[in-house]
Amino acid sequence: MDESITFLHSSDWQLGMMRRFLGPDGQARWGQARLDAVARIGEVAEQTGAAFVVVTGDVFEHNQVERQTILRACEALKRIPVPVVLLPGNHDALEPGSLWTSSQWQAHAPEHVTVLTETTPFRIAPGVEIVGAPWRSRRPLSDPAAPGYADLAPEPGIVRILLAHGQLTSLSGGMSDVPTIDQTALEAAVADGRLQYVGLGDRHSTTKVTDRIWFSGTQEVTSPEEDAPGNVLKVTIAAGAIEVEPVRVGAWHMVDHRVELFDEESIKALEDWFAELPDKERTYVRLAGDGSLPLPLLSRLDAMIDAQGEVFASVERWAKFWTVRPAPDAADLESLQLSGPARAAMEELRQALAGGDEGAGAALSLMHRLARDAG
Amino acid sequence: MRLHSLALRDFRGVKERIVRFRALGTTVVVGDNEVGKSSLVEAFGLIFELPDDSKSTRIRDIQPVGQDVGPEVSAELSLGGRELTYSKRWLKNRSTELTIVEADGRRQSWTGREAHNEAERLFHEHVDPVLWQTLMVSQGQSLVLPTPADAEPLITAVTAESGTPVDGASMPLVTAVEHEYLRYWTPRGKPTGDYARSAKAVSAAELAAAQALQAMEEVQSDIRRAERLNLDLSDVDTRLSDHLKSVEELRERKKATDEILLRRDSVRSRAETARARLENHTRTRLDRERLLDEVERFTKFEAELATKRADADLVAKTAAETVQAAEAALAEVVELKDLRRTDVQAAERRVSDLMDRAELDRLLGQQTELVDVRARIAAAGTILDRIKVDDAIVAALEDARAAVVEARAALAAGVPEVSVRRLGAEPVELSGTGLDGAVPSELGFDEAAEVLVSGELVIGVPGQLEVTVRAGGEAATLRSRVDDAVRREKDLLKKAGVKDVAAARELLRKADTATAELNEARRTEKSLTAGGDPGERIAVLTARLGPEDDAEEAGKPAVEGVPGQMSLFEEFASPHDTLFDDFDVPEPEADDLAAAQQTLDSAREALAEAERLLSDAEFAVAQARKAADEDRSEAQNARARSELAGERLASAVEALEAARAVLDDDGVSAAETEATAEVEAVLEELTVVQEQADAAGADQVAGELAHALAVAKRLQGERDTLRDALRTTEGRLEQSGRDGLATRRDVADLELAAVRAEHDSLERRAQAARRVYETLSRHRAEAQTKYSEPLQTRIESLGRSVYGPSFKVWLDDDLAVAERELDGIRLRVDALSTGAQEQLAIITRLAISHLVSTGEGSVPVIFDDALGWSDKARLRDMGALLGRAGDHGQIIILTCMPDRYEYVPKATFIKLDA
Repeated sequence: MDESITFLHSSDWQLGMMRRFLGPDGQARWGQARLDAVARIGEVAEQTGAAFVVVTGDVFEHNQVERQTILRACEALKRIPVPVVLLPGNHDALEPGSLWTSSQWQAHAPEHVTVLTETTPFRIAPGVEIVGAPWRSRRPLSDPAAPGYADLAPEPGIVRILLAHGQLTSLSGGMSDVPTIDQTALEAAVADGRLQYVGLGDRHSTTKVTDRIWFSGTQEVTSPEEDAPGNVLKVTIAAGAIEVEPVRVGAWHMVDHRVELFDEESIKALEDWFAELPDKERTYVRLAGDGSLPLPLLSRLDAMIDAQGEVFASVERWAKFWTVRPAPDAADLESLQLSGPARAAMEELRQALAGGDEGAGAALSLMHRLARDAG
Repeated sequence: MRLHSLALRDFRGVKERIVRFRALGTTVVVGDNEVGKSSLVEAFGLIFELPDDSKSTRIRDIQPVGQDVGPEVSAELSLGGRELTYSKRWLKNRSTELTIVEADGRRQSWTGREAHNEAERLFHEHVDPVLWQTLMVSQGQSLVLPTPADAEPLITAVTAESGTPVDGASMPLVTAVEHEYLRYWTPRGKPTGDYARSAKAVSAAELAAAQALQAMEEVQSDIRRAERLNLDLSDVDTRLSDHLKSVEELRERKKATDEILLRRDSVRSRAETARARLENHTRTRLDRERLLDEVERFTKFEAELATKRADADLVAKTAAETVQAAEAALAEVVELKDLRRTDVQAAERRVSDLMDRAELDRLLGQQTELVDVRARIAAAGTILDRIKVDDAIVAALEDARAAVVEARAALAAGVPEVSVRRLGAEPVELSGTGLDGAVPSELGFDEAAEVLVSGELVIGVPGQLEVTVRAGGEAATLRSRVDDAVRREKDLLKKAGVKDVAAARELLRKADTATAELNEARRTEKSLTAGGDPGERIAVLTARLGPEDDAEEAGKPAVEGVPGQMSLFEEFASPHDTLFDDFDVPEPEADDLAAAQQTLDSAREALAEAERLLSDAEFAVAQARKAADEDRSEAQNARARSELAGERLASAVEALEAARAVLDDDGVSAAETEATAEVEAVLEELTVVQEQADAAGADQVAGELAHALAVAKRLQGERDTLRDALRTTEGRLEQSGRDGLATRRDVADLELAAVRAEHDSLERRAQAARRVYETLSRHRAEAQTKYSEPLQTRIESLGRSVYGPSFKVWLDDDLAVAERELDGIRLRVDALSTGAQEQLAIITRLAISHLVSTGEGSVPVIFDDALGWSDKARLRDMGALLGRAGDHGQIIILTCMPDRYEYVPKATFIKLDA
């Protein structure tokens, strides 16, 4: 190949995925956003003159997604004006009952879309071969990328692109419960000219492994833990050179935020932080909090979080890291001007809380609110 | 507040009236029905409530009917440290005037609406409406127990005394807490509302999620199954393909060996035919040999059996003779045994006779003694029959004798005693009777006679003198008594047949002796006849022993007067020689019972010996008969066997002759030899062909091919089964894909997470609400107990002056009396009698009044017609109570029955006239 070739690399569309923390409305909007991002890939392809688009695995969340998801995915694919090559990943493996062999997919799949079901090289454009290593089972017995390139020999003049799905041995930290991709072997194949680009999927964050080995990351964020989601990779291969450029197509944000809450100032700081966040209706916030607050401030915090929950796609206290406790002081109780049994009851709850009784904290907050409202 | 006076004019039926009340203590306003007592209370209420221009119908109601006048009310009272004079007239000439004198003496006055407003303000400022209503008991309301919880003065007093802050300020909180609690919990603590619904929603979502998960797990299972089936199918396909190749190779080899096998089958067939023929000839030869053998064997056997038959007949005959001899011996022994039995019977009879005779002797002696005893009984009876004296008669005689002596003594003392002595020669003649009978007819010289004259005594000297002495009238009476006594004694002696008492006593002694004799003789007779009358037994024995021989009687002892006695002795002495003729035993003495017994024992031993001989003889006969029977049976068997052997011999000879008629003995042997040679030739040929088949492996090829075909068939079946299973599994997976099961599971999980989050949130809130509610309720209950204590103490203190020390009460949340205990019996107030309820209601109001009396908010206690259900004793106690209560506050009582309150000390009674 004498001229350069540009194509787009994406992965992990996870169409049909659901997120419990978003709620019904957020879930519907987020699901649509994932399809919109696919459509935006089409726009990027058009803008960049990409010859084709490759998607390296987990196009669908499951093999058994509902029909609506398949049909909407097909509609989104139609928005991509160039050939699209899809690789079955671990979520949509080419296993028995696979979506890719189903009548539903085959009846509605756009013609410009090719699903890699074999490891034989596929000529996508003159001088450009795609080799893929589709997952045939969710539990492969060996390196899931190896079948795609193990038997290949260098072929001068041909740009060979390997599409694979799985965690790299170097990035998995040894935590993967399925066989990982041998990075060294991959680099060797790149080095000896058998492969000119390796497009990987499974990792949702855009990740450069080497100049020619990339994880594109998911087209739309799926979790606050992801570093750089929401991109598609524009890959341009010329003779002896390669250029990879992440282009953002995602619109959503998922954010973890840690706060320490102990006085009105810290509450105010949190309010400001919320105020400054962009795209609130497309943002999920997971709050980790520690500290203790007087009852009025605790009520204010609760009210604030409830209100932000209406503004943002979702605001959630991260149960595992939420340890904000009520800290009633004497002034709180005095301000309520309680007397007699009511005062005694509140004092008892206060002492129980001081003794570590968590239930007493909630009761105390409630009683404080009721007393304040009744007064 | 203290009410000092109240004046009414043209108010309902009251033309004009003023009533003054004691500021402290009890005022009893007495008036008949309809006189206007209740109007006082009504008027006081209206003056503060309605302005003088009020259009209320209540104003119209108080205007006297048919009079165009304006009802007017004036009141003097203390209120909040001020003295008020307040008057108001409605309808006609309306006016309102208020004058207030402050504590420092300043005076202020208002008129019109200002006066009304100021009075109203002051009233509401200083009079708690709840307390006012609580302590004012309208007519007919005296049974209603007060519920004063909201009376501020009471609350203030209770709080001050109990030290417990009033919870009134927290009531909105209490209400809010209860409201919050009831959002999540029923009053009985069961989840309700959204909380309960969310729990159900969680359960339903969990079920849906579990079902969706299970469906997905089935999908996963199907995927694994399909993967395994694919692998298995690939493996089976490979194996089947390899196997079909080896099947083809075997088929080629089999074609080459089939010709050899056809030839072998032909030779095998011929060999089978030759072998069958040989077997036929061999069977014929064996049959012939068997017939020859039978003829020889039965001939010999028949001769042996004839000899055995003759021997058996001889043995049977000898046995029959032995039986006859044994039977003859048995007959002899039987006869001997009969003789011995006869001997025993004779000896037994002899012993029996001797024993009877001994018994007869004893009975005869007994009878002699009985005759003697009976003679003694007869003699004693004769004596007793003659004697008519008994203890009673002797006693009567003794009494009669004593009566005679006593009468005589009395006569002697009561009659003149005349002493007569003849002094001279002249005869002195006496006549008449003395007390002791006849007097001497005359006296000799110097003879004297002393005569007790019970009748008349004539003393005469013939020719010279005759003196007649007569006893007086009393003497006659005494005489008569003597005569009666004597007569009675004579009668008794005559009846007893004796001459005097002594004789009677002698006869009585003889009778006792005779009675003793008679009794002893009767006892003897009874003992002699205890075993029955000896005469009867003697007669039986005599009859049994038979008549005596008179010739033998001489010299034998006789029993006089006993018939048959002699013949007995005769028989006893008679010998029975013939009885003992056959025995070799000594002749016993005639009356020697021991000898006779000995004879009997000997006879019995001889009989036993004879019986043993008989038993032996019977055994010998039985044995002989049994042996004879066996020998006879043996002889019959020998005869039968001999005859059977003859028959079988004849049959064997007949069969042999028939067989020879078909083929003689030599022909049979020749045919068998020829068939044997043919078989050997064919087998040799078969061996050759088999060697050829073996060399070509013909038999193995066919087996291997059959086995290979079976394996191929099994593999094909296995492949088809796997294909079917794979198709089925893939069909299910295709369907599960169409159903979007994963999406369904995700949706179910999402739904579950949502409802669970909602429920967790509600759960936290519900638990918080419950915690607050329970904590607050507990503190309120504790406070309530403490809070009600001052009023409870007052009520109990007052109540004990009426009911005694066991009186206790319990208050509810509204400080109302809920239960009362008296003498250990605790009852709800609605279970109390009407009188007790009314008394408790009055006591409670007085206690409340007492509690608030020191505060600013005190008000009068007003009873309009109360204590209608109390008896006299209770009225006395309640009166005393009202008197004490008056020491702390103002009490106004309106009544038409003043006697109910006569026991109220220091009360002021005001009589209202009509």
